[in-house]
This record gives sequence, C-alpha cells and structure tokens, in this order.
Amino acid sequence: MPADEFAIQADNLSKIFRTRWSRREVRAVDGLSLQVRRGTTYGLLGANGAGKTTFVKMLLSAVHPTAGSAFLFGRPAALPEARRTIGYLPENHRFPTYLTGQSMLDFYAALSGMETSARRRRIPELLEQVGLKDWGDVRLGKYSKGMLQRVGLAQALMHYPTLLILDEPSDGVDPVGRRHIREILTALEEKGVTIFINSHLLVEVEAFCQEVAIIDKGKLALGGRVKDLIAGKGYRLTVALVPERLREALTEQAAAVSARNGVVDFQFASRELVNSAIDQLRSEQCEIESLLPTTSTLEDVFVRTVNK
Amino acid sequence: MIATLALVQDTFREALARKIFWGLFGLSTLMIVFFLFLLKIDIVEGALATVSLFGRSVNPRQNLDQLVIGAYAAIAAFLYTWGMFLAVFASAGLIPAVLEPGRIELLLSKPVSRTHILLGRYLGNVLVVGCNITYLVLGVWIILGLKTNIWRASFLASIASTLFIFSILLAVVVLMGVLFESAALATMVAVVLMIMSPILAQTSTAIKLLSSEWARQLWRGLYYVFPKIYDMGKMTIGLIRDGSAESWMPVWSSALFGIVILGAALALFQRRDF
Repeated sequence: MPADEFAIQADNLSKIFRTRWSRREVRAVDGLSLQVRRGTTYGLLGANGAGKTTFVKMLLSAVHPTAGSAFLFGRPAALPEARRTIGYLPENHRFPTYLTGQSMLDFYAALSGMETSARRRRIPELLEQVGLKDWGDVRLGKYSKGMLQRVGLAQALMHYPTLLILDEPSDGVDPVGRRHIREILTALEEKGVTIFINSHLLVEVEAFCQEVAIIDKGKLALGGRVKDLIAGKGYRLTVALVPERLREALTEQAAAVSARNGVVDFQFASRELVNSAIDQLRSEQCEIESLLPTTSTLEDVFVRTVNK
Repeated sequence: MIATLALVQDTFREALARKIFWGLFGLSTLMIVFFLFLLKIDIVEGALATVSLFGRSVNPRQNLDQLVIGAYAAIAAFLYTWGMFLAVFASAGLIPAVLEPGRIELLLSKPVSRTHILLGRYLGNVLVVGCNITYLVLGVWIILGLKTNIWRASFLASIASTLFIFSILLAVVVLMGVLFESAALATMVAVVLMIMSPILAQTSTAIKLLSSEWARQLWRGLYYVFPKIYDMGKMTIGLIRDGSAESWMPVWSSALFGIVILGAALALFQRRDF
C-alpha cells in the first residue's frame, strides 16, 4: 500500500522497450524500487543509458511501465490528478519558439489548472526570480541555452509545486547561473518542497542532495544518505542475507548502512572494524558479496558502484 | 476548461507563427476582394442588366438569382477541392509538432489526460480552419447580398458542411501524425482519400463495368467505408440550389469514419511511450 509520506514511491518498476520490426528487447529499467520522502532533496545518478530518464518518464506517465508501479504522494502516477502538484523540467526540452517567455509560462501554468489572475501575478514574480525580468516579451527562439534553462525552471515553479522533478537542471548554464539555480532550489527546500534531481554533475548533487540513488543498467546499484555514502575513508562491506540480530550488532559498529535489492552495504571506518565484522559474518555462515576500500567523494562512490 | 482553452489558444498561436492562419486568411481575402471589386453587377428594376468581370462586360444569360447561386456553388466547389487541400496541407504539421521529443514530455507531465491533450489540439486546428472558412463564406455572402439584395441563408450551410469534412480529414491527419509523426505522410493519405472519393462515388457505373462479384462488393465496401467528400460537396451544392438533400447517408457514414479514425488515434496516443 503506497504511503503518502513519500513524494515518490516506485515498486519493482521495469520498462522493456521492443524495437518495432525485430522485436529486440532493451531492458531500460529493471525492477527498480525506491522511495523519496516528502521534503527531501534526492539525486538520481547513473551513467548515460543507465535508465534515469526512462525512470523519470515513468513517474510522469510519459512512458508506460512494463511491470511494477509508481506513486506520487500515494497516488498512482498514471492518474493525471497525481501530477497536479508536480513541477517538471525535462532534459533536452524543446519549448515552442513562437512563444515568448511570458506566454510560455502562461500556457504551461494554464495546463496545470492555474487561474488567469493567479498566472498574471505569478509570471513577473518568477521571471524576476530567474533573472529574466526584461526578457518576458521576447520570443524563446531568441533565448540562449542558459536562459531557456532558467525560463524552464520558472515554468516548473509556476503553480507552486510540492514536488520538483528536474532532469539535468544546470545543463548549459554558466557557473553564475548554476549558483543562482542552486539558491532558488535551496529556498524551495527550506519551504519543504521535495526536489528530485536527475543529473550527472556529481559535485552538484553531492553539495545539494540529502539522499541519492545510483542506478546502473536499469537497476538500483546503491542508495542512501549522501553523508553516509561519503562517510570518509574506510571499507564498504556488501553482504547478502544478514540475520536481523547480527545486522543490528553490525549497524552499531558501522559508520553507515544502506540496503538495496536484498543486500546490505556496511561502511566501516577502519580495517580492524571491518575484519571484526567479517569474522562475525563468517561465523554465522553469511555470504560476503564484496569488500571495497572507500574514499570520500560521491564521484568515487559512483565510479566504484558502476564499475562493480 | 482552462486547459482546453490553453490548448486551443496554443494551436492558434502556432498556426499564426507558421503563417498558416495568414496564408489561408490571405487566400480568403483574395476571393472576397474578387467579389467586391472585380465582379460588377448592374441591376435595373430588380433584373440583371449587365455583369462586368475584370472590367469587361459579360452578357448575362441567366437571371440574377441563378448568378448568385452559381457564385455560391463555385465557392462551395472551391472549398471542397482546393480549399480542403490547402487546409489539410497547412494543418498537417500542427499535430506532429506537439509530439516532438522535449515538447511532448512536458505536456504529459501536466495534470491533463492524453485524450484531453490530443482533442484540445484537434479542436484548435478545426477552429483555425473554421475561422477562415467562416470568414470566406460570410464575406462572399455579405458582398453578394449587398450587391444583389439576395440573401440565401442556405449558402451558410457550406460553413458547417466544409468544416465537417475537414474535421474528418483532420482525424486521418491526427492518426497518421500519432502513428508516424510525419506531416508529409499525413497530407498524402488525406489527399489520397480526397482523390479516391469522386472515383468511388461512381458506384453505379463501376458495378456495371466490373465483371466479378467480389470486385463489386469490394468497390461497394470501399465506397461505404471511406468518407464521402465528393457526395458531401454535391449535397452542399444541392442544398444551396434548392435547399434539399437526396440522402443523408454521406453525412452519417463519413461521421462514423471520422469517429472511428479519431478513436483509433486516441487509443494509439494513449498507449505510446514518449
């Protein structure tokens, strides 16, 4: 039963694409389950072709899942009503170039069901917020990549969303613009808006997100709190099927613990601690999947995870 | 309602930006100007004295009433042939445009159903063409009315009839757009239907000429299945001339075709991944 304490909940979500003629199968997302709590900033990481965008599109019902289910605030994602409080900025967006900044914001906000008077009030406010105050009546065809990204963000914010799904939000934006976008997102985070970012800019995700999930070949490869995943140098011990009593004991000794697809990752700060853990696990006949030394950046965690 | 209006308004904006609206509007204006300035009619005591075309006098063989009906019929015939072709050609790009990657995802992320999105676009497209047809027919009707004092309301029925056939051809364009995202292919299929219509309408002649029974059945089947653009045109001209229609079969069978095709387009659009 989906709980509305989660802004996003995916249960065993899968998508298999079949080519039109040869019927060859491409498994883009493979049994992915994840939960994003309300009010968190969550980063979805993965190499190109890992299935990130397909996953996001399934949340928005642009792609139909082959199996599994997705929920937004406890409602099935396939229902249009579930998307009412969602703001979305797609990757490689193609806003109609015949629209001006103002008319584009007006159009998409109207589709979100916003009344005319509310739209009229909100548009200048947002254009100012994203630094495009003087560009509102200019056609989007004249905008630079960075400006399109900023007006795209304004579009996602028009109807006061409670969940923001941003696909590569700082793509094409200069460093000043990126900082500006980060400031806007930080202000939203403080207001309790859930922010879900799909990005390959690991430094930004590490700086901004509280939690991350790394997906590889359509599967969840690693997930957890950023501060746990980058909890200093040490050792990451991956174990399958740990008895509950032993798991509790090891959790007390570990710097961080995260679980995925039936396996548990324990992060230990020293060689002594990890050796002790191995002794305890082996005495209980537990299978050790892997043991890896860890460093302190999300990039290292990411590279290690996708190269496993 | 807000979303529907937004989708319709967006179609108008795109039609204006692509110069589609202005192209059709310009053509309609040209025809209205023709009737306004180039066709001069002199009436003496209610009867037609002279008709001047491009500044040259033409000896009127018909009476005034017949001349006006002839003009109405010519406009209706134009609308059913070249007008329809231009409308389809101009509109064909408007459906695949919303399906472009980077644009459709954003539309689908809004709390609007897929059916609503496609029907909103369809409605906007019908209204763009509807505005132009209304402008042309109403313009010619008013000008001829002012020049001759003959006001035949039956001519106005050609607005509804032309728009009806256009909306059926647009359903085909929508289906092709959803299936193949190709404006060119959508236009080609719609034009093939337009070309086939007068050929299939010769059912009684064809049945005499065809030797095998299955070929005759196939001909009849195709005739009843496909939209009857030619018959609708003839029916409209008949309505203009004497206010009556021989049969309403072309209307309901064409409507049925349009509903089925639009339904198929909606069903496919529902199932597609973007």
